[in-house]
Amino acid sequence: MDDPISSPGLTRRSFLRASTVLAASAAAVTASLAPLRKLGQFTTSDEFLQKYYKEMTPEEMKVVLARIENEVEHQYGVRPHLRDFKPMNGVEFVYALNLSRCVGSRQCVHACVAENNQSRNPEIQYIRVLKMPNDGTFDLEKSEVSYDSKAVPEAGSFYLPVQCHQCRNPPCVKVCPVKATWQEADGITVVDYNWCIGCRYCEAACPYFARRFNWSTPSIPKEQINPNMSYLGNRPRYKGVMEKCHFCIQRTRAGRYPACVEVCPTGSRKFGNILDPNSEVSYILKNKRVLILKEELGTLPRFFYYFDV
Amino acid sequence: MKNFLRFLRRCAAISFVGDWRYYAWLGILTALCFIGLNAYAKQFVSGLGTTGMTDQVSWGVYIANFTFLVGMAAAAVMLVIPVYIYKNEDLHDLVIFGELLAVAAILMCLAFVTVDLGRPDRFWHLIPGIGVFHFPGSMLSWDVLVLNGYLVLNIYICGYLLYCRYRNRKPAKWLYIPFVFTAIVWAISIHTVTAFLYVGLGGRPFWNSSIVGPRFLASAFTAGPAFVILALQVIRRATTSAIGARWPEHGVVPHEIPARAATLSDLEVLAEHLPELAAVSAAERRECLEGATVLHAGAGDILLRQGANEKNAFLILKGRVVVRRDERGRSRITRNIGPGEQFGEVSALAGTPRAATATATEPSEILCLPADSLRKLMRNPKMNEIISWRMTERLMIADHSLLILRGIVQVAMIINVFLLANELFTEFYNSNHDSTSWRYLVLGLNGFHALVPWFWTAVTLNLGAMVLFMLPLSRSLKWLDLGCVMCIVGIWIEKGMGLVIPGFIPTPLGQIVEYVPSWNETLICIGIWAFGFLCFTVLLRMAVPILQGQLSHANESQPATR
Repeated sequence: MDDPISSPGLTRRSFLRASTVLAASAAAVTASLAPLRKLGQFTTSDEFLQKYYKEMTPEEMKVVLARIENEVEHQYGVRPHLRDFKPMNGVEFVYALNLSRCVGSRQCVHACVAENNQSRNPEIQYIRVLKMPNDGTFDLEKSEVSYDSKAVPEAGSFYLPVQCHQCRNPPCVKVCPVKATWQEADGITVVDYNWCIGCRYCEAACPYFARRFNWSTPSIPKEQINPNMSYLGNRPRYKGVMEKCHFCIQRTRAGRYPACVEVCPTGSRKFGNILDPNSEVSYILKNKRVLILKEELGTLPRFFYYFDV
Repeated sequence: MKNFLRFLRRCAAISFVGDWRYYAWLGILTALCFIGLNAYAKQFVSGLGTTGMTDQVSWGVYIANFTFLVGMAAAAVMLVIPVYIYKNEDLHDLVIFGELLAVAAILMCLAFVTVDLGRPDRFWHLIPGIGVFHFPGSMLSWDVLVLNGYLVLNIYICGYLLYCRYRNRKPAKWLYIPFVFTAIVWAISIHTVTAFLYVGLGGRPFWNSSIVGPRFLASAFTAGPAFVILALQVIRRATTSAIGARWPEHGVVPHEIPARAATLSDLEVLAEHLPELAAVSAAERRECLEGATVLHAGAGDILLRQGANEKNAFLILKGRVVVRRDERGRSRITRNIGPGEQFGEVSALAGTPRAATATATEPSEILCLPADSLRKLMRNPKMNEIISWRMTERLMIADHSLLILRGIVQVAMIINVFLLANELFTEFYNSNHDSTSWRYLVLGLNGFHALVPWFWTAVTLNLGAMVLFMLPLSRSLKWLDLGCVMCIVGIWIEKGMGLVIPGFIPTPLGQIVEYVPSWNETLICIGIWAFGFLCFTVLLRMAVPILQGQLSHANESQPATR
């Protein structure tokens, strides 16, 4: 046979053979990649090249905010008001939840979904309410998440809502390989949805099951969009990125309560500035019996459970 | 540079040449790669929701395979350590195969990580200097560095050694020994870093155990050499044929080949292909020519015969010679060499029977030196260096080398089983909350037991392999191969499904959500494995002819054989 290794020019046969192989591979590649035709608008060059949140100048941020507003309007048909809320000086947010009062109504869960433009399908929720048995244990493995919230409160049970604990020593921030998640000056751990690469290492690291991944493109009905949006908070997320509770940045950094605090029918949820000695949360930490979930892990949560005493 | 480019071009060209079995194997692998690519295209469009993963079990078979393959890549050092630290020459020519395996394994690792990313388009955020690299805080950033570094190291070491072999030059020690030692430490580090990826997560008690790192190393050093044992036999098989099937042999015995006395001008011809000869003075040359002859061999003439006892060494002046060893009714080409190369010198110097048969494949002129003349020639330090070095550069793959690897697998498997037993004792003697994942894996929990059969299969295979490797029975290749397959499958389960998945079950909030890989996800895995085998096959297809001497600088105008 002719020698493909050292023959200086192309012979007719080797040329024909090479062309056949090339044509066959090109056809195979095209056929394999056929599903990509359904991809649609995946990413724009502006989005692809967007800089890291902390490296953007205010002017660059303005351009990005305008671009994202257009993207959201294009996708959901609603013109949002998107802002980049900055932390306030002298503020560190802390959450306190009264276990004696919580009845497990799950109203917080649904208020959170509505406020924060969470995907309805696939369903993403930041708050999980655990129904715990009153049997002398505090064993999370005995908890139930899919109880019927119309039948609450049930005798023999208490309710333990869990969401992001906004740790002072957050394992999720430590493990992120691209610093796409970090702790802000007011104690809120945020995610830059345009920087996350979707490796889900933070999801594996979180001891409170507080982080969520967008396994598919999120979907939100147009009429349910909350147009008051923040860059690090409740703007619609992308497929393939992480998200999590951010203490309703778009509300709390504008002096309002998080949606879950406002909606709670029993007043179990308290929120405020721990650096202000006269705040409600400061009072609770000083005067109530307080419990921290998984204290032994050294995560130092800013989320406290307490009891009426 | 021009030479190097030609080397690359010839390597690329030879990867397209082979017999029908080679084409069939490549064809199947390529088809599987395309099926995997197609499945990945679907995942790319619809998102990772096409997998069986959930927020509860957020890593699945991709990361499981990744973890297993990092171990395979680290195993290359198991071959490097005895050669360079303990100067074990038996494994010398096998090092390159180990490192090529490492290259293929790391490429698969990178592919598995890429398909696991939610946003592969943002990979550039991970590039140090361009993106934002969370180093040294994130163990994943360490993994990016060590894996890519290991890939570059291994490509460099294999590439340099193969290129030297191609140019028929002795590799300069300072250009590769420091890198080899770096690679040894590096190999340990890639696997330790990968273990720390899991160990560093305080919220996952199943992983947060200091024994995970040592367990990773022990299991890697079991599965890796076991795979190399199997791969070496495949290479050996592929380079053999039924005796006499390849070259027509005239049955001409060595002393019937026409010969004449050798002259100084013959040495001049030799010096064109063997530059080191220039260092030998005319007086020394004359001394060496005593009793030397030049054989004029025709195609098919046998120059020396395996098992014969005579004391001549040979240097090729012109033409081409194939050296083959006959074992167990099959014949394996160990070398395929041209002008300037030597053969028969090992048995001539040692006074042992011929270990192989040498046949001229085309009309050739061969310088035939009595052993004493060769010794005189080797008094010259430059000649001594080049001739001794070439004696070690043989593609032997002797059974003896496989048995050394068997020893490594044996010890590593015993350590691996011992460490697992330690872990099981700790978790089950005082059962507490932190051992829930272990209970789920080993016994099942609250009616969920998807992983229980996997775990016990792994334990059975590992224990079975351990016993088999301790019995003298496994000195026979058939049983050795069975033991290797058991090791590889056992470790794959133990480190893949048995390590990654139970870490997520139950969730930190106590829920049990089981994980089953989806069909699409499985196809992607099959595609990546096929891609890895394809890479390894092509790399071997390039390396074997170079090691045999068939593909070399000297024969650039020679056609390649199938």
